[in-house]
Amino acid sequence: MAIEAQAPPPSATGPAVWLRKHFFATWYDTVFSLVFAVLIYLALKAFIGWAFVDAIWRVENKDLCTHDAGACWAVIESRGRLILFGLYPYEEQWRSTLACLAVIITIALSCLPSFWSIRRLPILWIAGFATFVLLMRGGFAGLELVTSEQWGGLSLTIFIFSAVFVIGMPLAVLFALARRSSLPVIAKSFGFFIDIVRSLPLLALLFAAAVVVPLLVPDWLQGNKLMRVVIAFAIFFAAYQAEIIRAGLQSISQGQEEAVAALGMPYWSLVIDILLPQAFRNTLPSTINQAVITFKETSIVTIIGFFEVMASGNAAIGSGEWGNQYVEVYVFLALIYFVFVFGLSRYGAWLETRMRLGHA
Amino acid sequence: MHNSAISIHGLEKYYGDFHALKNITLEVPDKQTLVICGPSGSGKSTLVRCMNGLETYHSGTLKVLGLPIGDDTKVMDQVRKRVGMVFQNFNLFPHLTILENCVLPQIRALGRDRTAATREAREHLQKMQVDIHAEKYPDQLSGGQQQRVALARALALKPEIMLFDEPTSALDPEMISEVLEVMQELARADMTIVCVTHEMGFAKAVADRVILMAEGEIVEEGTPEQMFNNPQHQITRDFMEVVNG
Repeated sequence: MAIEAQAPPPSATGPAVWLRKHFFATWYDTVFSLVFAVLIYLALKAFIGWAFVDAIWRVENKDLCTHDAGACWAVIESRGRLILFGLYPYEEQWRSTLACLAVIITIALSCLPSFWSIRRLPILWIAGFATFVLLMRGGFAGLELVTSEQWGGLSLTIFIFSAVFVIGMPLAVLFALARRSSLPVIAKSFGFFIDIVRSLPLLALLFAAAVVVPLLVPDWLQGNKLMRVVIAFAIFFAAYQAEIIRAGLQSISQGQEEAVAALGMPYWSLVIDILLPQAFRNTLPSTINQAVITFKETSIVTIIGFFEVMASGNAAIGSGEWGNQYVEVYVFLALIYFVFVFGLSRYGAWLETRMRLGHA
Repeated sequence: MHNSAISIHGLEKYYGDFHALKNITLEVPDKQTLVICGPSGSGKSTLVRCMNGLETYHSGTLKVLGLPIGDDTKVMDQVRKRVGMVFQNFNLFPHLTILENCVLPQIRALGRDRTAATREAREHLQKMQVDIHAEKYPDQLSGGQQQRVALARALALKPEIMLFDEPTSALDPEMISEVLEVMQELARADMTIVCVTHEMGFAKAVADRVILMAEGEIVEEGTPEQMFNNPQHQITRDFMEVVNG
């Protein structure tokens, strides 16, 4: 007996079906869905009421900022510049804005795969940092000199982060390769160095760079404090990132090295063309994670006297005038951090998808 | 010109206490196709990997194209540019396209410019019938296709000798023949070939000489006819029985 072909079962679609499938499939799904719907509703209502509906936006209305009123965003209007620019001279803050933009554009450009070459990346970063330092420091062409002690706020945070990352990454590659060296003296000593750096608290390292190094090193070699702190921070970053890269190198099969050797390609090509691209590809999630951690850890430079964005935020509420508006200021700071960290992690996710599709 | 492409005398190799190669003496004349077979662990892969310095040896002499294989990196660079190798696991570069897999080694090893290298690469990919995959990545290709890409990559460097280390052992049965076919073409085109393989069909079709190794020694050698039809040693007889099913 022949079996007649039947029409496929009707594929149900539409919002009602979707809702039932995802939220009301079983009785306990229904209970959880309802409970959380109520909680989310209450939380959102409270937040929107506080942040928007009942909020006080203008400094003229500052008197209305009482304990049971909504968010007092007037503090951002009044102190926003302090938070974003720190102690940077008021009249010159346009320079800080431009400098900050220069670094952000440099970061954005170096995220584009068309810039990933041994020649383009260094040129891009040297140009980016040079622009930043020239604008921030001034002292030429009629620009007032602003020393790095007065730099601050968001542009300092972004500068420290990108400088640590850009100096630290090549160092990390160097440390990782040295630790895998076939010469035992080099491998052992770099291994020991990495372990020492990783066992030190970041704070101790930065203190040493800021305070101890000037006591030990001749004047001409000291550089300024910001430079020393960035380099110490970069070494700290490199010690961790080196271990991530080393893990990536170890995950590459021996066959790759043999193929390179059999094809008569030189050692530098093995490292640059074959091993490192694969190592970075294999460890992308951990590398992005390390970048996020580093971005947030930049706030630690406060303690040695740098007014990065977190410290500037604290200063904004430090005066009696806006002392009660710390929640608003912290929400504002959190938003700034969120934009950067979320951007980083979305970029990481995009890279991962791209690599899964097979691109380098 | 040298009439011996590869010349080995009294080669000894140990892995710790394990005696991997015992007193190997072997001449491979120019343009010969030599097939090395034998049970697993007999040292045949080790021997072929010694020929381009992927493995070191402890004593004896080993000359390839008249050049002594050893620690001298300058000499080894010379040798490796003139000796191609195809591996069991293909060892393509997974982060590069098929085309780039074939272009990059030419640029890095021979200093060819990109235009010339690309032309050369495309030509060899076409010969291996994988040119339509040029823009894909290795993991998008079947094993047989990947192995043919590996061949194109090696041949684009215009080697004088090709070494094959079990080139079909990692392939699904239906893909073995597509790789063997291109290898047979090479053998007929007078390339000097040393091939470690269990594919006796290949040996019968194109080998000038077959050697059988067991426990680090060359047990028997001869033409394919001698080896298949009239083997002298018990080990050879047993082995031929197994591989011929």
